[in-house]
Amino acid sequence: MNNMESKDKKKIIDSIFCIFIGTSVGLIVYGTFLYYNIAIVGWNLGLIFAPLAAGYVETIFANRTIGRNIGAISAFILFIYTTFYSFILKNPTLGFNFITAGAIVVILQAAFPTLINYIFLVVIGGAISNLIKKIKDLFHKIIHRIRHQQFIKWNGPDIEPKPVPNFDEDLSNKRINSLDFFFLTNTDMKTRKHKIVGIYQSYILIERDLKIIHPEPELNEKQCLTNIKEGKDECLIQLAENIKNDGGNGIVDLEMTYNLIGIGGDNIQITARGMGIYVEYYEQ
Amino acid sequence: MILTSSNTLENIEKIEYKGLVTGEALIGSNIYKDLFSGVRDVVGGTTSRYEEEIKKARDISLNSMIEKAENLDANAIIGLKISYDNLGGTMGNTILVTAYGTAIKYE
Repeated sequence: MNNMESKDKKKIIDSIFCIFIGTSVGLIVYGTFLYYNIAIVGWNLGLIFAPLAAGYVETIFANRTIGRNIGAISAFILFIYTTFYSFILKNPTLGFNFITAGAIVVILQAAFPTLINYIFLVVIGGAISNLIKKIKDLFHKIIHRIRHQQFIKWNGPDIEPKPVPNFDEDLSNKRINSLDFFFLTNTDMKTRKHKIVGIYQSYILIERDLKIIHPEPELNEKQCLTNIKEGKDECLIQLAENIKNDGGNGIVDLEMTYNLIGIGGDNIQITARGMGIYVEYYEQ
Repeated sequence: MILTSSNTLENIEKIEYKGLVTGEALIGSNIYKDLFSGVRDVVGGTTSRYEEEIKKARDISLNSMIEKAENLDANAIIGLKISYDNLGGTMGNTILVTAYGTAIKYE
């Protein structure tokens, strides 16, 4: 029993010795930092390194003499002392800012590593995690509301798709070929005496429906084709009028092209071009 | 009905110009069909379905043109031109097939 008591006493004495050594080293470090004024923006770095050094030295000595860590008590003592000396006794013109807060956290971490780590990882981490979860839930609710609004059941009458009028091909053909004008896709008028008026070109722009998802894609294409046919007729009529204005009455080597123009193909350009001519006599 | 891309008909002296005839067709409404054709292109197969659709569109445009020529009392089309234009933009799923030529009556 006495043997046990004496062992406990020895452990306590060794522990006090370790704390003393750690505290001493911490004070020396702090004194050194103060003497050489090792500071950043007026904040002496000894406030950080002194408790760290104290705790480190104490732990090494404790492990060698007692065989286990005794909790860096000297770091806590240094923390109390340096805080008292710097903030209260010396009362430096040090404001509470981000660096001060960070340094206090580091000192506290050195003095109470388990507690501070617990606060950082469990309390603050958990609070941030919960906050993010709440924000995510809120966003999900908002998105759900918005989506839900898009799918409100329509209780009104059925909406009939807008019918696309049929393009009258015969009327178009008669319209083009009743202009008293020669539209020739071949390159010359054999057996016909004619004069060259010049090169002519006309073009029409057709606005394109850029809706990617169309309720009736086939109707959309039908409308597009009708627009192209109407545009082609207008383009040919415009070309004939231009040549007629310059004294011509026909065109040879007529060529027609259909191209997408604009960013993303906003419009369809229909172009008609060829050589304007004047046919002097027409031999049947 | 004679269809030719040449300027005139060989050994034919008497030609009566009847007018311009055109035909148009648009294909490409079925996006899934296009997608599968694209897959077959990548793996090196022939896109027979796509070819069929283009041939069908060309036939529609040619028949439309021939019908108009017949209405003009023509019996041939010279200077025939056929073009295939992509009007689908970046999606590339709309092709316009156009055919046009000069309707004539020969004896």
